[in-house]
Amino acid sequence: MLFPAALGLGLPLGIGLAAIGSGIGIGFLGKGAMEAMGRQPEILPKLQVAMIIGFGFAEALTIYAFVTMFFLQGRIG
Amino acid sequence: MDQARPGRDILDRALRTSWLAALALAATVAPGRPRDAAAILAGQLLAFLHFTSLRKIVKLFTEGRRDRRLALMIAAKVTLVYGGLAALITLGGVRYVPLCAGFALPFLMLFLKSIMLALGAGPASLTARRATETARSLGNAAKPAVFLLLLGVAALLAFSALPGVALADEAAHGAPATHDAAVAHGGAAVAHGDAAQHNEEGAAELPNWLVILHDFNPGNPLVSWLEKNQVIVFAWIAGLLFLLVSWLAMRKPKMVPGPFQNAVEWMVESMEEVCGGLLGPQIDKHFPLIGALFFYILTINMLGIIPGMKSATSSLDLTLALALITFLYVQFWGIWNLGIVGYLDHLAGSPRDAIGWAMLPVMLPVHVLGELAKPVSLSCRLFGNIFGEDTLIVVFVGATALLIKASLVALAVPPMAGITALFMMLQTLTSIVQALIFSLLATVYLYMMLPHEAHAHEEAHETH
Repeated sequence: MLFPAALGLGLPLGIGLAAIGSGIGIGFLGKGAMEAMGRQPEILPKLQVAMIIGFGFAEALTIYAFVTMFFLQGRIG
Repeated sequence: MDQARPGRDILDRALRTSWLAALALAATVAPGRPRDAAAILAGQLLAFLHFTSLRKIVKLFTEGRRDRRLALMIAAKVTLVYGGLAALITLGGVRYVPLCAGFALPFLMLFLKSIMLALGAGPASLTARRATETARSLGNAAKPAVFLLLLGVAALLAFSALPGVALADEAAHGAPATHDAAVAHGGAAVAHGDAAQHNEEGAAELPNWLVILHDFNPGNPLVSWLEKNQVIVFAWIAGLLFLLVSWLAMRKPKMVPGPFQNAVEWMVESMEEVCGGLLGPQIDKHFPLIGALFFYILTINMLGIIPGMKSATSSLDLTLALALITFLYVQFWGIWNLGIVGYLDHLAGSPRDAIGWAMLPVMLPVHVLGELAKPVSLSCRLFGNIFGEDTLIVVFVGATALLIKASLVALAVPPMAGITALFMMLQTLTSIVQALIFSLLATVYLYMMLPHEAHAHEEAHETH
């Protein structure tokens, strides 16, 4: 397989796979946060901060794939 | 504002707007083609004279003073405006297009203001209180104005129809090659070819005002320097904006704050509260950096929403610089608070027993790599988010431009504008959340480095 063709197939696929992982992670985080919120509404501000930080970590994985795509995009040909 | 002479305000507004537009246009053209800039300004000046003298004449006429003064005014006006135009064209050797553009600007502005008035889109006071009066008295001035506008358009068309005159010359200047490149890139009307060429990542960008300035003045060294270093320029603009807002808000701090001071204080205090929840009482010492990071990044991100501006954070250079500042700050305070030995101990994973010492060759590289990964992840996260959001908008704008090029304007513009506006809302959200995440993660990294109770230390290790 040619290198550009491999890149053209692999880059979008990689982003999609990374997005699946991040989506699952963010989904779990959101689920946990919602449940905690429902149980104890008074911890809302603290919970939100922790939740957003967690989102940041989970989302970063997709962003890494995204950035990799931008760096390699020019070589697809 | 003047009730006695209604109709004056809309003309005044139109003239003021047209002066601004003419100055902006002239400034854009000036460094490369000073003669054209001068022609635009001359045209604007003549049109301004035309309108002011026309107003005077109409006033004299309606007041019933049809004497020698009126005749003198009319004669002076005709000589000044039309004679000036003729003299400029025949003697001055000015090109037609910039002169006509300058001359047409007030007409255009008046036309636009009238449309706004008719649609009821003007300021509330204009439509509610003065609409009828203004429209009635405007009729007097608008009819000759529209007549002259049509005359001007006809003259322009006639001139352009002549072989080898101005317009063809202008078209040759417009560099068809770059235009084709822009079309190929999917941004016919909006994205310039240059934007694609100057981007290292190979992805399209909406042109900002520096790129447009560079397109108009390709040879100017200052402009090309600005264009080459646009990330720095936009970071400066954001920084200046940030400084200006803080200075304006805190110029005369009062015990009972005014609305502006109140808003700024509320923002700063709520941010301090959020970070203080993580960092505890030490927030007082570290908030200057963390708060500055948050508000600076927020300003930079938000700048990208304004058309013609660019988020400087959509370049890895700036985000990496911010992340390195954070990294050095965190390491510095780690060494300062723990001491050299304590810092090394922290990096080694605080070995206290035989198993800890045995794990040392594994734990030390892992911790060092973890520390080094922090700035990389911080910068890539911010860059990727902002850049991705910008690219998304560029793709939709480019699709709109392609549809416009296929003359599907009615089909293209309304839904596409709606979708783009939706993504811009998303961009606002991303801007705030990413600025928040950057500064919160900086706080968390700082928190991991600072000495605290035993259970907090274990938590910090889990997060590594």
